[in-house]
Formats: sequence, C-alpha cells, structure tokens
Amino acid sequence: MMSLASYLIISLILFVVGLVVMISRKNIVAILLGIELILNAAALNFVAYSRYVTNNLDGHIFSLFIIVVAAAEAAVGLAIVIRFFQIKETIHIDEATQLRN
Amino acid sequence: MFLQFLFISSAFLTIASAVAVLLTKNIMHSCVFLLASLIGVAGLYATLGADFVAVTQIMVYMGGVVILMLFAVMLTGGKDFISRAQNLLGLPASMGNRWTYGIGLIVGLVFLLTNIKLLMGITKSLPVKTITNEFPSTVNEIGHLLIKEHVLAFEISSVLLLGALVGAAIIARPRKQN
Repeated sequence: MMSLASYLIISLILFVVGLVVMISRKNIVAILLGIELILNAAALNFVAYSRYVTNNLDGHIFSLFIIVVAAAEAAVGLAIVIRFFQIKETIHIDEATQLRN
Repeated sequence: MFLQFLFISSAFLTIASAVAVLLTKNIMHSCVFLLASLIGVAGLYATLGADFVAVTQIMVYMGGVVILMLFAVMLTGGKDFISRAQNLLGLPASMGNRWTYGIGLIVGLVFLLTNIKLLMGITKSLPVKTITNEFPSTVNEIGHLLIKEHVLAFEISSVLLLGALVGAAIIARPRKQN
C-alpha cells in the first residue's frame, strides 16, 4: 500500500484540487490558498522520490526551500491583497482591472 | 501497522480537507480546512521518514502562513459580504459562478487523465527498491548538507526572505492622506 505510486497519486489529487481552486474561486485570498496547495503537492513529490528512488536527502533540502519560498510568497501576496483592499474596498478578482489608479 | 494507519489517516485528511477548501462557502472556514490539509501533508512527510521537513511544515504553516491568511481575511472582509452577497448560482461572491466552476472542472479532469497516463509509464519503469521501516534521524545530515553542498541556495533564500519582508512592509504601509 505505501509505495511510490500511492504518494504520487495523492500528490496529483492535491495538485488538481489546487488548480481547480485557483481557476474557479473569485476571492483573491482563496486563489492564494490554491497556490499553497499546489506548492505542497510539489514538495510532497520531492520527498517521496527522495525516499523511494534516490538514496540521499537532496529532496528534503528542496522541500525545505519550497516551504521558504511559499512563506515569502504568502507574505508578499497578502500585502498586495491588503493594499488592493485599501484602494478598491473589495477583494473580488474581477475588480482588478488597472495597474495604477 | 502504525505506519499504515498514519498513512491512511493522513492521506484521507489531506484530500478531504483540500476538497473542502474547494467547496466551502465561507472563506474563513476555507483557511481552516487548508490548515487541516497541510497537517495531513506533514503526516505524510512523517510516514516518509522526513522528520525535519514534517516539523518545519507544521511550524511554518501553522505558525506563519495560515495565521497570516486569517489576518488578511479579517482585514479585508468589508463590504464584500454585504454588497456582493450572491451571484448567479446563489452562492457567495467568493465562490465564483458556473462558468468558472465548469472551466475549472474541465481543466482539472484533462490534467488528471493526462497525468494518470504518464504515471502508468513512470511506475512501471522505476527500479524496485527494498524499503526498510527504520527511520534514522535526518536532522544531522540535513544540517551538514545545508552548510556544505547547498550553502549558496541557503544564502540566496535568506536574501529572498529579507527582500520579501521589506517588500511586504513597503507594499502594505498605510496610504498617505492627501
């Protein structure tokens, strides 16, 4: 049961759900939630390959850097969301139509 | 036995919470379901023997990212829930409408089918390794790898974090009253 294929299938389902969240939701914070799901699917793939295919820990290192980049991305993205709300007073994605006011 | 129980429960928690993120109407509940999904991913890391990555996942996401998202949701609630209360399907405005859900489902299904086709080929061609169920601690080795082989990426990520911190502080500063 616990094989490489099962981890890959779980990661694939997580990725597809994140993709559908990104496409179908209209709230900017919800789109950021979809991005987090996709990044976690990629990191899970790295760790699974590191255990079942290679014998070193490079996959773990890469997964740690993915977590770091996800944290930085969430900080900057949510700052942009708060700034957008200060200007437009909504976070509906259809209102984001201009680069400067 | 315990490992299989942990694997099944973590996989169920991950996938069910991810689907709940997609289907929940309230964006606050969506953030909490994302937290549950990330805890499930940390459990999957634990079943893979990646103890340091699992603990880092729990610390960074529970202590940082999800809290930040909850703050962003609370700071940007406002008129969204009142003026745009419903859309075509009678759902809250944060849920999208039938077009976005249709396009999302089509793209997801196409992606899922093509990747299952790819996975069939990959899993047949992989070398079968015998896996022992003993998990030595990886913390020591990860520390050596981070300051020997991957030291350049380590330093670049520190610069990235500094840039993201300063950039977030500058972007989210209060507006000038003019």
